[in-house]
Amino acid sequence: MTAATLHDAHPPAPAQHGTARRLLLGAGWIRAAWMFCLFALIGVGIVVGLRWAAGWTPFLDKQIAVLVGLLVCGPIGFLAGIGCFDYWTYYALGKPTRPEDHSGHGAKSWKDYFRVNTDHKVIGVQYLVTTMVFFVIGGMLAMLVRAELARPGIQFFDPQTFNGLFSVHASLMIFLFIIPAFAGLANFVVPLMLGAADMAFPRLNALSFWLLPIAGIMMVASFLVPGGAFACGWTGYVPLCSTHQPLGAVFFNQAVQWAGASSIMTALNFLVTIITMRAPGMTFWRMPLLVWANFTTSLLVVIATPFIAGSQFFSMFDHVMHTAFFNTVQGGYPLGYQHIFWFYSHPAVYIMMLPGFGIMSEVISTFSRKPIFGYRLMALSLMAIVVLGFSVWAHHMFVSGMASWLRVPMMITTLLIAVPTGIKIFSWLATMWDGKLHFNTPMLFALGFLSMFVIGGLSGVMLGAVPVDIHMNQTYFVVAHIHYVLFGGSVFTIFAGIYYWYPKMTGRMYDEKLGKLHFWLTFVGFNLTFFPMHILGTEGMPRRVVDYAPKFADLNMFISLASFALGASTIVFLYNAITSWRSGERAPGNPWHAMTLEWQVSSPPPTFNFDEIPQVVGSPYGYGIPGAQHAILTPSHAPEEVTVT
Amino acid sequence: MRKGQILTLLGIALVAGGITTAVAVLPTWLPVQASREAGRIDFVIWFTIVISIVIFALVAAVMIYEIAKFRARPGDDSDGPPVHGHTGLEIGWTIIPLLIVTSVAIVSAIVLSRNGDAGVNPLRVDVTAVQYAWTFTYPDAHGLTSNVLRLPKGRSVMLTISSKDVIHSFWVPNFGQKQDAVPGLHPTLHITPDRLGTYPVVCVELCGLGHALMRSEAIVMTPAAFDKWLKSQQTAIASPNASVSGAAVFKNNGCGACHTLTAAAATGKVGPDLDKLAQWAAQAKQPLASFVKTSVTDPNAYIQPGYPKNVMPGTFGASLSQQQLDALVQYLISSKKG
Repeated sequence: MTAATLHDAHPPAPAQHGTARRLLLGAGWIRAAWMFCLFALIGVGIVVGLRWAAGWTPFLDKQIAVLVGLLVCGPIGFLAGIGCFDYWTYYALGKPTRPEDHSGHGAKSWKDYFRVNTDHKVIGVQYLVTTMVFFVIGGMLAMLVRAELARPGIQFFDPQTFNGLFSVHASLMIFLFIIPAFAGLANFVVPLMLGAADMAFPRLNALSFWLLPIAGIMMVASFLVPGGAFACGWTGYVPLCSTHQPLGAVFFNQAVQWAGASSIMTALNFLVTIITMRAPGMTFWRMPLLVWANFTTSLLVVIATPFIAGSQFFSMFDHVMHTAFFNTVQGGYPLGYQHIFWFYSHPAVYIMMLPGFGIMSEVISTFSRKPIFGYRLMALSLMAIVVLGFSVWAHHMFVSGMASWLRVPMMITTLLIAVPTGIKIFSWLATMWDGKLHFNTPMLFALGFLSMFVIGGLSGVMLGAVPVDIHMNQTYFVVAHIHYVLFGGSVFTIFAGIYYWYPKMTGRMYDEKLGKLHFWLTFVGFNLTFFPMHILGTEGMPRRVVDYAPKFADLNMFISLASFALGASTIVFLYNAITSWRSGERAPGNPWHAMTLEWQVSSPPPTFNFDEIPQVVGSPYGYGIPGAQHAILTPSHAPEEVTVT
Repeated sequence: MRKGQILTLLGIALVAGGITTAVAVLPTWLPVQASREAGRIDFVIWFTIVISIVIFALVAAVMIYEIAKFRARPGDDSDGPPVHGHTGLEIGWTIIPLLIVTSVAIVSAIVLSRNGDAGVNPLRVDVTAVQYAWTFTYPDAHGLTSNVLRLPKGRSVMLTISSKDVIHSFWVPNFGQKQDAVPGLHPTLHITPDRLGTYPVVCVELCGLGHALMRSEAIVMTPAAFDKWLKSQQTAIASPNASVSGAAVFKNNGCGACHTLTAAAATGKVGPDLDKLAQWAAQAKQPLASFVKTSVTDPNAYIQPGYPKNVMPGTFGASLSQQQLDALVQYLISSKKG
């Protein structure tokens, strides 16, 4: 049976009814809309019913009704309506299911990107486009922050709105851009690199994606709630965020739960896929480093993410249910929140770095035409970062008032983590030595990353030293540091990855001139924006302030102007990505002459990736060795000819 | 690697190091040191900056050399040599960074322990944070309270930091030392001021709407001037004057961080303008005195249109004495403009 006939045979039951009924009851946006409303009403009904039965007044407590109805039940209704649970529901009800049903797989038109799709390649693109939308929104919020900070005094926003702007900016960039953008790239690339037809759990994969827009819309929508968005920073420290905030804080608590659930499901999926679905001959020591990077990242996500879920639940309970987990007056412990929060959020820094390290290794090896220098040490240093990453969380709390003996041990582990990170940087430099360097856009972003991440890493070592941290903590020096790590680090690698795999994803080449222009604008704009922040911080300007002392005015004006240029550079990228997708030059299967498996199939790859299972016979980085091969496989056919029996 | 390559690399590293050193030295990075602890902290900062400059210069040199020398010629599709690693190099760049970070850890631990040592008989000051103001109490001077931190030069000071509502953080950039104020905890912070002058006190932990304006001053005085100030203040406490203490209550509780009041030279914009109290009271259809009093003790009772609820702390009813409250209300009514 061909894939096309499978598609036609898909919805046998609704086909017997009228078109209107199919529109209303079939999986899709219309069903998602009414099921969202229905479930939200049921949620509100549960709240009112329970309060009425218990005799609590008012029956309609607005906070709890909004929380249960709009933020918990409504999204579940949306997921059910769009079709995430159809297969599992049929299965649970004992209705006939077809385990080999591929009707929800692959994309033939743009509409297929707007429904529940089980193809890891479609999901990868869905992830990337969604995260780009939130990247642009988050970036615009940052522009508004910089507009307010261009001059001392309060010009455009009242403090509540301003605090909301930078809180939502950080939350979007972390939870809706960097983490899921890496998940999107890996979603597309990892199964291909492993020689697998898809991820281990395609339906779970689809569900992980659809959780994301829910989380993102929730964060942005918090601006519309009476009282304004959550305004306590993305760290959500209590008791400020649990008892002194408007309803918007609950939107943050709950959005983090949805994004976190998405992360955990994807990470489990990657772990199972990487452990069980490697092509014959692909031992762990023959895996590309990008796969290693996502393996280690997934370990971090699975172990750490439940901690932020816990911290946000307890904070929210303090807010809406008057519990006292973190409320001192009733015996709670505010620092407890910080310990639980950072037990996730420090590993989260590596969740936002390790996939980028993987992209670096692929790009630098390919464009240097040389094997990765010290492959095994590179993989082992990833594992070392995972282990050490769990023992450094309290370095965010050196001045928090926690047990002071904890500071020196946490400083030692923090400084030690510089060692495996240094190994990676030195190994990339050694990989380039004596190579044949090709400066295509992905390579430029890789080199930009290498230089910027060294600065971010060194300022990280400075902050790791307790006395330095005591001075710099909560100042603009920290703002500079995290942007050198997360923008100069993570975002540069995301762009390197997007340009590198753009031909594979879209089947088109991007415009190289525009790509290089984008790099230079970003690189220069980035440094002009964030480097002066180091000086502001050491001089004494606190972060998260709507107003500042007049002596900081000149540098702030400079930073604001530079940040607008940096923001504008994204327009070049978006223009390039959109126009090249429509009318770029057709991409060959392997434009970069790379050795890993994803380049050995057509661009874009066939629906089920490989016609024959590849036999892996050697290293993925055998550049310069005459006749070296990573895997043996026969050339694949065009997607239309794929048959499934 | 040939000898010529090493020399070229060192040359580039020297230039890169020179430029980075200029960036480190030319702008003013650190505020003027005003305490012994800041001096030690600044030493660690410069120690790590020097290490950073050396590492950055070496990495930059290798990168610049590679970009210049190993660029593929147009049309050259060949590969580089298949070098897979070098055990000696790999051990080297594991061990050397290990030694460097160990040295940073040792220096830091020593400075940390010396900065925490307050010696015998330090001057004790209780620092209390409340949204959005600082209060400094001198328990050894009959609980004298001030809204600016006055310290004698050269004497070891032990600050006990606490908060009445949310988490704040006490920092004087010139003193270097910093400590969060956490409700329920009373951590200490040790400072030995060693330079006369007036320095900013800032809150560096986001504490709500008035966070940016939660500032005060630290004044380092000669020991003689400090003793004189202590005495004069104690006299003032003994003979309170209603209008004076109303102004003091206004100042000490940080009202000016959020409110405008011309008489107190306060220009806050977070809450309603207190120069227009009569107008607001008329709007709320309440007599002026009771309106002002209720607005202080129970801020949510009447919310001025255009301002959000739950912003003004509801703790003043409990924290102010009846006398203080009456003085404050009297002061506000008598200082209003229209």
